[in-house]
Amino acid sequence: MSVFSEYKKEIMDAAHNDRIRIALARAIKSYRGNVNEAMKRFPHSIKMAEEVRQIKADAISNMDKLAQQACEAIEYNKGKAYIAKTAADAIAIVDKLVGTGKLIVKGKSMTCDEIELREHLEQKGNEVYETDLGEFIIQKLHSRPMHILSPAVHVPKEDVAELFSKITGEKLPPEDISRLVATAKKLLREKFFEAQIGITGSNVVAADTGTLFLIENEGNIRLATGAPPVHIAVVGMEKLVPSLGDAYKVAEVTWRYANYTVPSYVSLISGPSKTGDIEKVTTYGAHGPSEFHVIFLDDGRTELAKDPVLRQALYCLRCGGCLYECPVFAVTAGHFGDKYFAGCGMVWADKISGKPEKAAAMAYTCLTCGRCKVRCPVQIDTPAMCIELRRQLVEG
Amino acid sequence: MAKKELLPPGLAYLADNITSKHNLLGARKGDGSKWAKGLDLPREAETVFFAGCGYQYSSELESLMSLSRRMDKGGVADMAMGLAGFQKKIGIDAVGIFRRATAKSEHDDSDVLRDAVRVLKKLGFNFGYLGEDEPCCGGLLHYIGLQEEFKKHAQEVDRQLKSKNVKQVIGIIPSCTYSLRNLLAKAVGGDGFEVKHFTQVVAEKLPSLSLHYPKQVKVTYHDPCQLVRYLGIAEEPRRILKAIQGVELVEPERTSGEWATCCGGGGGFEAVFPEMSEILASNRAKELSDTGAGIIVTQCPGCIMQLKTGLKANKAENVEVLDLAQVVARAMGE
Repeated sequence: MSVFSEYKKEIMDAAHNDRIRIALARAIKSYRGNVNEAMKRFPHSIKMAEEVRQIKADAISNMDKLAQQACEAIEYNKGKAYIAKTAADAIAIVDKLVGTGKLIVKGKSMTCDEIELREHLEQKGNEVYETDLGEFIIQKLHSRPMHILSPAVHVPKEDVAELFSKITGEKLPPEDISRLVATAKKLLREKFFEAQIGITGSNVVAADTGTLFLIENEGNIRLATGAPPVHIAVVGMEKLVPSLGDAYKVAEVTWRYANYTVPSYVSLISGPSKTGDIEKVTTYGAHGPSEFHVIFLDDGRTELAKDPVLRQALYCLRCGGCLYECPVFAVTAGHFGDKYFAGCGMVWADKISGKPEKAAAMAYTCLTCGRCKVRCPVQIDTPAMCIELRRQLVEG
Repeated sequence: MAKKELLPPGLAYLADNITSKHNLLGARKGDGSKWAKGLDLPREAETVFFAGCGYQYSSELESLMSLSRRMDKGGVADMAMGLAGFQKKIGIDAVGIFRRATAKSEHDDSDVLRDAVRVLKKLGFNFGYLGEDEPCCGGLLHYIGLQEEFKKHAQEVDRQLKSKNVKQVIGIIPSCTYSLRNLLAKAVGGDGFEVKHFTQVVAEKLPSLSLHYPKQVKVTYHDPCQLVRYLGIAEEPRRILKAIQGVELVEPERTSGEWATCCGGGGGFEAVFPEMSEILASNRAKELSDTGAGIIVTQCPGCIMQLKTGLKANKAENVEVLDLAQVVARAMGE
């Protein structure tokens, strides 16, 4: 079967799957309610989003320089920083740090998914636990993420209850969502403290201070980046902005458009844990990790930044708002996707993952209706990207 | 790799119709202009009414889509490929055969064009219609990525309009209007033409009209993507509807104006994913019929076809789908 036929079959199967549609309909309704509420309470978000568009547009033109600067800052903070030109380079760096036979707790990271890091580490004989609830469900279902923020957006509560019942041997009712959440907590709690390594991504990075921002609600990121002795972060270079001030703005706009008034936690991490409490002698490795490694991944991003239209895919904050506005996504979830979904996903499939057939199949799935653009905090013109990508694919 | 292979065959078929037959459906030259018979519209004028393929060939389009959907659901591995093969087998008038083979709707959508002309005349506009010399805007070529071909086609369109001394264009189909207004000038350079949408020119002269709908009706309005998000026209159609006595406008919750949901017929999608496109049509039709409206008013032949399909799938065929031009014409009386 051709890539296109295979893909078409996959999205049509999804479109006929009632459970996906039910789960998505619930998610869309709740997203729209929440985001309206968040915007009403913090109306400055709209103006701030315009500022962020400019911050991102400038930063994307300077990714090389910003990555260098961030590396220097992180090294100055006694962390270790790396620039990986390719996905293989990034994996080689992680391999060297991790080795084999380790217990690893992971935070949700699209960049790790992009390079298939979890699968790789498992293959190398490590035990890896996804600690984000959605990602944990996905891992246990042997499925793949279907939304950038809510990876299990396509799984209704009934399926979660069935899954957790199977794992625990208890009969868990689907109506009792808090019990389902408590079950995941119980299953994962001790892993955070047994793990030798925590692996995460980052939502935005301030190049001047080398500070990683990690936005979350569950508290799993705090534990995964705090409890194990080693923290490794894999970060796409498009996440870099010049200053701490810029990063704050990007972070706030990201969570606001991701439908939160404010998230429960934002971790700012710039180096390994340290103390100077004994005779003012700075000693690394206090309660938090003693080792902090940051890998900045290029893998086609600096090349993509040179494309005047498609570079907009790098502005994406991964708030996920567009996906809730996409009529195709509403019936297919992330099956309309590759590593990333819908609009930016099709650009990613071609320019980052080097899969032109898959990219074309996705590009011709886009309605070019443009409602995603209305939602996008940084005004990514998806119809324009889609039409330009189609042109590049068929005309070369 | 051979890049052209990445273009889904359904779209390649439509593109080929535009470049070789100068209309989207590959129909015979002149078939599209029959609707204007007896209207006495000059064939050359400074201001022309641009009818567009979508309405001129609406019944062909409908037949083609219904056939495509049947093939897609019937498990023809690649519907579009099947379609292209089917066409090859039975010759160039495939569309005509589909049309005759399938039930034709009672109201021909060319009514929309005749109604639009009636409205424009009543408002005192002087305009012509190019008839069989009206070119296809070629917009589809742009959307599906055939930029080189679009550019060539656009030059031809530009030349043709200029040879008829056209200065202003009144479009009725949103995507043709956008093509002629935005894409053409960009592809060809120069100042282009002054292009307005039907709704805009009607809204400008609205106070001169006295509008009464023949009966009390609850209507809802579906914003076509190209009209609302590409051309930025959302206020005018609502102003027009609200000016009609007997019409009560009800809007779907949230999904109206710039947040309107696409009918599932955008960007050539329906030619690549006919079955999925029907699912999206049904979803959108439900959002609209949930308002309790008896009439869905919109302004695009693609949307009309999609919404009718969606209503049928939802077994809600008691809801009527009309172009705004039809509603205004009915409200003008005789």
